[in-house]
Amino acid sequence: MAMIEFKNVEKYYGNFHALKNINLEIEEGKTVVLIGPSGSGKSTLIRTINGLEQIQSGDLIVHGENLAKKKTDMNLLRKNVGMVFQHFNLYANKTVLENIMLAPRIVLKRDEKENRELAEKLLEMVGLADKGNSYPNMLSGGQEQRVAIARSLAMKPKVLLFDEPTSALDPEMIGDVLEVMKKIARDSDMTMVVVTHEMGFAKQVADQVIFMADGTIIEKSGAKEFFENPKEERAKKFLSQVLNH
Amino acid sequence: MQEFLNAYTSINLIFLLKGLWITIEVSLISGALSFVIGSFLGVIRYAKFPVISMVVGFIVDILRNLPLLLIIFFTYFGLPNFGIRLNIMTSAIAALTVFEAAMIAEIVRSGIISVPIGQTEGARANGLTGAQTMWHIILPQAYKRMIPPLVSQLISLIKDTSLATIIVLPELTYHAQIIYGQNNSYMIPMFLAIAVMYFIVNYCLSLVGTWFGRRGNKTA
Repeated sequence: MAMIEFKNVEKYYGNFHALKNINLEIEEGKTVVLIGPSGSGKSTLIRTINGLEQIQSGDLIVHGENLAKKKTDMNLLRKNVGMVFQHFNLYANKTVLENIMLAPRIVLKRDEKENRELAEKLLEMVGLADKGNSYPNMLSGGQEQRVAIARSLAMKPKVLLFDEPTSALDPEMIGDVLEVMKKIARDSDMTMVVVTHEMGFAKQVADQVIFMADGTIIEKSGAKEFFENPKEERAKKFLSQVLNH
Repeated sequence: MQEFLNAYTSINLIFLLKGLWITIEVSLISGALSFVIGSFLGVIRYAKFPVISMVVGFIVDILRNLPLLLIIFFTYFGLPNFGIRLNIMTSAIAALTVFEAAMIAEIVRSGIISVPIGQTEGARANGLTGAQTMWHIILPQAYKRMIPPLVSQLISLIKDTSLATIIVLPELTYHAQIIYGQNNSYMIPMFLAIAVMYFIVNYCLSLVGTWFGRRGNKTA
């Protein structure tokens, strides 16, 4: 069964048609990478999956819940759908450990000792075991992003969304974050949806690549197939622009 | 000169200090009440609930654009016409609270708006409800940014208590009036004395505000 399913989804910002007739199924446990030129609707599309953006028509079913229905409880849905943002969005008024432990404590009512143990384990996993008591503004961008990933994982979500997770980072920071993401893709059975410009990452970990332009999905294919033998003209042009420099 | 100094008898000074105490008491009570009420109104207005937020916004805008003196007149002279009779102290506190709450509501609302939207998105995506996001993430950061405007609002409030002289609230300015009412040559000495008292209290507050403001900048 598909974990995420778009059926004829349309999204507008005022008069601007941001997503045009999106049809897409993402299987449970798969890693899907969304690529395309800026302004193509990738970020908008990924933000609809946890309801940060509302769709105007069509159906969007995530983990069995139809987000197009008004009575769908977004808070319930978001327990199962984590998100990592381009600008991290760590809680500026909380320490690193508190950032990770807050939502499990007040949303999942997880036992405090268990909560702390998991938070510390996750910090170790992202290579920041010694930063638990730091505040976000004391960390580098790459460190902040790894904390943000740990914060999402602490909720034990079924789906993890990454919205350009490395676009705001200095080049030397990108590798550490990508390593963590690769580890998650490899070792967990989470469904991952990643908007990125990191083609190397897409090649290595994606089960499926989705190429978007002008609010529509132009091409969907396996990663290897997409990079070696893109079918659509726009995809070919895009790849030649991002790969040959 | 001697005449000038004669005004400062210990009896007169103690009488002034009693007035100062009422000024401070009324300011603290209405300050605390308006902080709580204003925070509620500010959050409600920010949250854009259907109807409720609009009504709150409408009332806040009206109150902010009325002279405080009119509100004081209304609570003391107007309300009895509706069967509500408050004593002087309570009317003064009620009027100041209503007016200040409207001012603080706007400070709170703009404080909330000044917290980057990413904080809300991060929290909502993390599974927090709107109310949890507001309480745990947004308000703590917003209040930190609001300290300087809140302090200057409190300073205005202390100065504005002198308007309650009009309903004979026995605060600092009124007590000064009583003293120079008995001996007109005491007028300037009394003006000077209460000016010094208002200045000391308010200047100390503004120093505290600057100190907190600086501290706030460092940690977030």
